[in-house]
Amino acid sequence: MWKFAPYVFKSLWRHRARTALTVSGAAIALFVFTFVGAVQSGLAGLTGTEAERSLIVFQANRFCPSTSKLPEDYARRIARLDGVADVVPVKVFTNNCRASLDVVVFHGMPADKVRSARDLKLTAGDWGEFERRQDAALVGQALARRRGLAVGGRFSIGEVTVMVAGVFRAADENVLYTHLDFLQRTRGLNSVGTVTQFEVRLAEGADPRAACRAIDATFRGGPILTDTRPKGVFQARAVGDLAELIGFAHYLGFACVGLVLALVATTTVMAVQDRVREHAVLQTLGFTGRRIFALVMAESLLVSFAGGLLGVGLALAALAWKDLAVGAEGVSIAFRPSAGLAATGLAVTTAVGMLAGLAPAWRASRTEIVASLRSV
Amino acid sequence: MALVDIRRVTKEYRRGEQRITPLKDVSLTVERGDFVSLMGASGSGKSTLLNLIAGIDRPTAGEIVIDGTDITKLSRTQLAHWRAAHVGYVFQLYNLIPVLTAWENVELPLLLLPLSRADRQRRVGIALKAVGLTDRVDHYPRQLSGGEEQRVGIARAIVADPAIVVADEPTGDLDAETSEQVLDLLRRLNEELGTTFLLVTHDPKASAVARRQLRLEKGALLEPEAPRFTLRTGEG
Repeated sequence: MWKFAPYVFKSLWRHRARTALTVSGAAIALFVFTFVGAVQSGLAGLTGTEAERSLIVFQANRFCPSTSKLPEDYARRIARLDGVADVVPVKVFTNNCRASLDVVVFHGMPADKVRSARDLKLTAGDWGEFERRQDAALVGQALARRRGLAVGGRFSIGEVTVMVAGVFRAADENVLYTHLDFLQRTRGLNSVGTVTQFEVRLAEGADPRAACRAIDATFRGGPILTDTRPKGVFQARAVGDLAELIGFAHYLGFACVGLVLALVATTTVMAVQDRVREHAVLQTLGFTGRRIFALVMAESLLVSFAGGLLGVGLALAALAWKDLAVGAEGVSIAFRPSAGLAATGLAVTTAVGMLAGLAPAWRASRTEIVASLRSV
Repeated sequence: MALVDIRRVTKEYRRGEQRITPLKDVSLTVERGDFVSLMGASGSGKSTLLNLIAGIDRPTAGEIVIDGTDITKLSRTQLAHWRAAHVGYVFQLYNLIPVLTAWENVELPLLLLPLSRADRQRRVGIALKAVGLTDRVDHYPRQLSGGEEQRVGIARAIVADPAIVVADEPTGDLDAETSEQVLDLLRRLNEELGTTFLLVTHDPKASAVARRQLRLEKGALLEPEAPRFTLRTGEG
């Protein structure tokens, strides 16, 4: 089949404006498709299996982190409950409780817990500096790139100013970790003795639903009621409105696939209509219907794949460059580029290229030679 | 055994309510190495007969045996393979592939045969030399004159060394001088390479180049003018 590659490429080059327009259209559609995919994969990341093994204890009937104020000493009582392996008090401070594309979320945690409860890989700075300085912070790589932060620099949001002691790589890179004490004592927050939430790690074999019920029952008669949920459920609820929008964007992805299909199919149909006589000549020379079918399919695939490659490549580059994340109520959804996403985009574009080529390729392969040779 | 043996071939098709019979009960043999011209007015059935021999059309009745193969019994795919190896076709309007160079156009039929790249190159070189176009190999059809295009078309038809080359009005789109050059080329290829030619034309000058001339009228072959071919029109 490679012997015929020059013919396939030159046939596409013959109508280069048409080919370029189709490739561009497919590229734009696949760019959007990949972008939507990145958002959806970020949303899926919030509700993964790991998120099912951790619980979040929040103040009942509160949504924004700034309104949830749980007594810090709840931690001791939670730790005594069956099935609880560890409890981490977390003070959350965010620059924006509403949906935003530039969410900055501070997590104030005991320094030793940051190290043990989070899977962070430092790419710059060191743990020692973070543990020594009260105002030290570890900044997620994506956030650091987006805000231009580097080790040794200072970073302020409202009344909170921290010194960047390290930059880390992790699943969630739109978060900044600092000391719990520091965040509680910051002027303006004034929340010594209270935390926003507890993160509860369950022991092996513990039932998450039963643990949630047990925690909430413990504080039912207390001054502040709790609302405990598996981390995934909690995060999904926090970004509920956004999740609906992202769910709707799913249809946008399908529409993009449809657009590529229509574009490539139109181009291939036109290419076949233009070459009725040429295909008859090829058959006269001895090309079988199957070979003509393969040649037309190759053209359709190439156009679709080139557009897909361009669109997916641009989308991944843009996602990697901008480090975008959308967040609400202290939970952020990162738009993550990944090899899986690229593979999906390219698989979709390949499938669409094949689908778009089927009908015109079939038609070309069934050309009636004599009648077609007489056609103008 | 004759290279081409056509036995009582009839071709019919319908156009609306009308039944049209461009060929009726035609029989004909052509020997290997012969140069046969087929003359006739428009609608006489000469192109239909040529297309049947080239294996790009099928008869309604009768047998067409070429080089020992009854091509009427071949499937669509088998017929395509057979054409690639046994027939060269010269078109009136050249029908070169516009995106391919002269060299690539001539090489095209060879891509269908089990030949090495070196073999293909050798054969294309020989074919282009035979038609006198070695200096135009990298030119695209739009960069060639009509006569040169037809010479590329002839090179493409002979490159696979087919059993027979059929030519449908090969000079129909050329001026008188170029036509003579093309006809002379066909004659020379027939004499020097022994290629069997079947030429369809309505031009008596073109027909005169052939060693045997046949005439078709209203779908039937008339008496031969030359003594060396066998004609069995409507025999029982």
